[in-house]
Amino acid sequence: MSAPTRTASGREARLGRSSRPADPTGSGAAPTPAPPRRRRSAESRRRLVALGMLAPALAGLAVFFAYPLVASVFYSFTRYNQLQEPQFVGLLNYRFLFTQDPQIGPAVLNTIWFVVILVPVRIVFGLLVAGLLSRAKTMTGFWRTLFYLPALVPPVASVVAFVFLFNPGTGPVNQILRVFGIDGPLWFNDPSWSKPSLVILGVWVMGDIMIIFLASLLDVPRDLYEAASLDGATGMQQVRHITLPTISPVIGFAAVTGVIAALQYFTEAAVASSVASGKATIGGGTAALLGYPGTSLLTYTELLYQHGFANFQFGYASAMAVVLFVVTAVVLVFTLRRISVFRPEADQ
Amino acid sequence: MTAVSQSPLARAPRGAAPRTGKPRRNALLWVAEHAALVAVGVLTIAPILFVVLTSLMSSNQALTASIIPKPFDLSNYGKVFTQLPLAQWFGNSALYAVLATAFMLVSSVPAAYALAQIKFKGANLVFTVIIVAMLLPPQVTAVPVYVMWSHLHLTGTLWPLILPNLLGDAFSIFLLRQFFMTIPKEYGDAARIDGCGEWRVLWRVIVPMARPGIASAAIFMFFHSWNDYYGPLLYASENQAAWPVAYGLATFRGQHGTDWSMTMAMTVVVMVPVVVIFFFAQKAFVEGIALTGVKG
Amino acid sequence: MSLPRPTIRRIVTATAVAATGALVMAGCSSGSSAASIDESAPKELKGTVSLWHFFTGREAGVVKSAVDGFEKANPGVTVDIHAGQDDEKLQKAISSGQNIDVGLSYSTAIVGSFCSSGAFRDLSPYIKRDKVDLSDIPKAVQGYTAYKGKRCTLPALADVSALMYNKAAFAKAGITTPPKTLDELKADGLKLTTYNADGSIKQLGFNPLIDFYENSPEHFAPMINGTWLDKQGNSEIGTSAAWKKLITWQKGYVDAIGYDKLKAFTSGLGQEFAADNAFQTGQVAMQIDGEYRTAFIKDQKPDLDYGTAPTPVLEGVGNYGSTYIAGNVAGVAKGSKNPELAWALLKYLSTNTDAQVTLGNGLKNIPTITSALQSPDLEVDANYKTFVDVAGDPKTITSPATADGAAYIGTFTKFWQAYQQNGGDLDAKLKKLDSDIDNANQLAGP
Repeated sequence: MSAPTRTASGREARLGRSSRPADPTGSGAAPTPAPPRRRRSAESRRRLVALGMLAPALAGLAVFFAYPLVASVFYSFTRYNQLQEPQFVGLLNYRFLFTQDPQIGPAVLNTIWFVVILVPVRIVFGLLVAGLLSRAKTMTGFWRTLFYLPALVPPVASVVAFVFLFNPGTGPVNQILRVFGIDGPLWFNDPSWSKPSLVILGVWVMGDIMIIFLASLLDVPRDLYEAASLDGATGMQQVRHITLPTISPVIGFAAVTGVIAALQYFTEAAVASSVASGKATIGGGTAALLGYPGTSLLTYTELLYQHGFANFQFGYASAMAVVLFVVTAVVLVFTLRRISVFRPEADQ
Repeated sequence: MTAVSQSPLARAPRGAAPRTGKPRRNALLWVAEHAALVAVGVLTIAPILFVVLTSLMSSNQALTASIIPKPFDLSNYGKVFTQLPLAQWFGNSALYAVLATAFMLVSSVPAAYALAQIKFKGANLVFTVIIVAMLLPPQVTAVPVYVMWSHLHLTGTLWPLILPNLLGDAFSIFLLRQFFMTIPKEYGDAARIDGCGEWRVLWRVIVPMARPGIASAAIFMFFHSWNDYYGPLLYASENQAAWPVAYGLATFRGQHGTDWSMTMAMTVVVMVPVVVIFFFAQKAFVEGIALTGVKG
Repeated sequence: MSLPRPTIRRIVTATAVAATGALVMAGCSSGSSAASIDESAPKELKGTVSLWHFFTGREAGVVKSAVDGFEKANPGVTVDIHAGQDDEKLQKAISSGQNIDVGLSYSTAIVGSFCSSGAFRDLSPYIKRDKVDLSDIPKAVQGYTAYKGKRCTLPALADVSALMYNKAAFAKAGITTPPKTLDELKADGLKLTTYNADGSIKQLGFNPLIDFYENSPEHFAPMINGTWLDKQGNSEIGTSAAWKKLITWQKGYVDAIGYDKLKAFTSGLGQEFAADNAFQTGQVAMQIDGEYRTAFIKDQKPDLDYGTAPTPVLEGVGNYGSTYIAGNVAGVAKGSKNPELAWALLKYLSTNTDAQVTLGNGLKNIPTITSALQSPDLEVDANYKTFVDVAGDPKTITSPATADGAAYIGTFTKFWQAYQQNGGDLDAKLKKLDSDIDNANQLAGP
């Protein structure tokens, strides 16, 4: 989109800041294009200003992103507990990571479990509720706020609440189930039910996904539907051929961000284990409770925390961090190009 | 009713598939849809209701299976402030959230503007790097960053979580840039023609127009800081005086174990400010969310 | 897409800079540990010293009253107390250079790592100079406060465990004396267990599950005089016949009642240190617990009719009358700005009879110097006497320190928890346990 040429020097404006004064004669004669040298200096001046504005962010990227990445690789070849100098140990950490750590298996499997189950379930429920909401004609604001509310609640608060509600003996959930004659499971205290319990929590807070689905559903042009129904398409066919393809970018976005979030799943699992185990953390430390019940809630980042900040094995934790980085990088390389919102050329 | 805005969410729903079929099927559908809405609504509000009810019970009753408190006991709300340094924790949360947000705005608004409205070589590369930084799990960089902060003797406080925002926050830059890109270039160009430098264009022209987007980014940052558990776990767990409420809620155990009714009261107290702020800032919040994924 | 040359050069430069940065960062360690100390102790102590410990609530108050004694004896000194600090936090504080002078840990886990890494200073020069008499400390206790000959901690009270039983329940079931052997324990436990109409447990005689309250490999170790590591520091748990017998016995007990039933029952029990503790409510009739439980009972359920006796043992394998002892250890932090003052406070808490008696009576923990153990000021009633006796038993055991702290016990516990639920090939699993422990020790270093 080009700027309207309100003045004679409008053309120059489009090329960027120009040092040539506006044509005083106002004759409107098309001025000769700025000589290439001036154009380049205008461009580099622009670049300088832009970099100036970006300077804090660029410094931040260097200090908190680039340097730690390289440093992590460096530390991963050492044994370092912060009380003494790092000792070079070669591939010892990686050998332990890939062949000897008895907890790495559960940690990786649990993390993959969350990626494969939690993300799709949340997307499906988010879509269903968004779909429901998109058809409502009255009180939409009220419903939207209500369904979004759980996502607002600090995750710590919702986990604590859920552990309490799902207490196998005295919690309301099992009590209500008892009314229907069902003997409820031990939920957060049973290794086979602890992850599904967190999925239930994840569904309760699906408001954050639901809202972007809703926005996108409402953006689908209505004429498409009208044309399709004129052609005799049923509701389900319309959903399959119109709705889903049109909102697929948003589904893609939700999927990618969901997977990345699941790969680093920490807070909900850690707090659930800590609260459900009922042990006062006196003497135990947070790390001692990670994974409860058994190792069912032990995720990769929790294991990283345990090795790094509970056992102070910074070298080994860095090795784990490097592996996590590689996995995330692979995911990103495959998906960044497909998600248009992450492509810099979008909207140009 | 929500005020009129450009957000598709506020407009009357127009994307819903139109109803087809006979009137009787339509009525059934209507009933089914509304029944579903009500059911989901009940399931959504029920946990919060139970939490509130439990917070009104006595500690002993909370250990039993009863659902309705008898009698209604408001003392827990007083207890959470007297038995725990909850007011101090709130202060910590507020300090963290407010400062982090303020620092973020100072550093990220110009950065986002530069990426969105100034054409220069390397803009795309910077943007891609920011996306990667935004999506990267924080645990990947946790160890060296922690070592860095302990050399600065700032561990045991919340400063390692607040100060980095002076050097930009990747997600905020992303969000703000998306928003700035929706502002037509004409406005900036007009100001440039008048001789304004980029900084003045930003400050005089763009920022006033971008208030909703900036508000969204600010709210996101505020909530992210308020709800943060992992950060305080890493940096402030050994100093109870520096705990924010989210961490305090998860970690504090009564000296002899969890007092559930008090814990539920604490949960309610932690939830309330967030809900209140949301009600006042709904529009901006919703716009911001739409920006993250809808465009494109 | 191959990168242009200038870009590659830039990337290499950046990487080199970053790597150097990492080296520089790592190079700055958290304060220097003094190689030499003053010729003589300062005549007058003055200043502020910070004490970090893990107690909270009532127990923190007891520590404070002991510390008050130190402040009274040294009027120029203020002690800045940080309560509720577990081992993780102590290590964080020391390694990131925070203000910590004396660290009091609740367990012996950190002795190995703190001594070898220097997080706690070497106390031998101070002990030698001030002529501290270490023989007043029981042998087992001396054992767990040093690592490979380096003494970096002194003990400050200890915990021992024994059997506690509900006298009323015993009378009701017709049991007259507490069990002495594991067979008797199982028989009595099953006898005391009652069920509801739907088959779920109503009252449990004894809960065999590892991860219930104080049931742990350490507290069960005296049953078979268990050892942990050999002289090289390698795990000998898997190869010891004794542990295998104990694990088999425990699994048999769990299966006699049923793991699922036990788990369901256990999940519904009260919290260990709250008023609804299952032993205090009578839901569990016998348990292995520490001596501090007597203080909790006095505070929360004084009318409970209970008795104590040494931990039952496997006939012919364990030594009846012994126990497992481990306790609080205290040291002077590496980066302490006032080491003389810190040493004075440490010496007071660990070798001053009055301090130990105050702490012993208030916390109901076992004093770690014999003079305090035998002091007439120490409050000992019939139930508490059992604990004092087993603490002094010559066959009492402990667990060795490693550079990896108590990680090997954690690995063992996780293994046992999995085995009690799933069973399986015990020999193979024990072998894997040994190699897991050895690998982890190797990762942590010497």
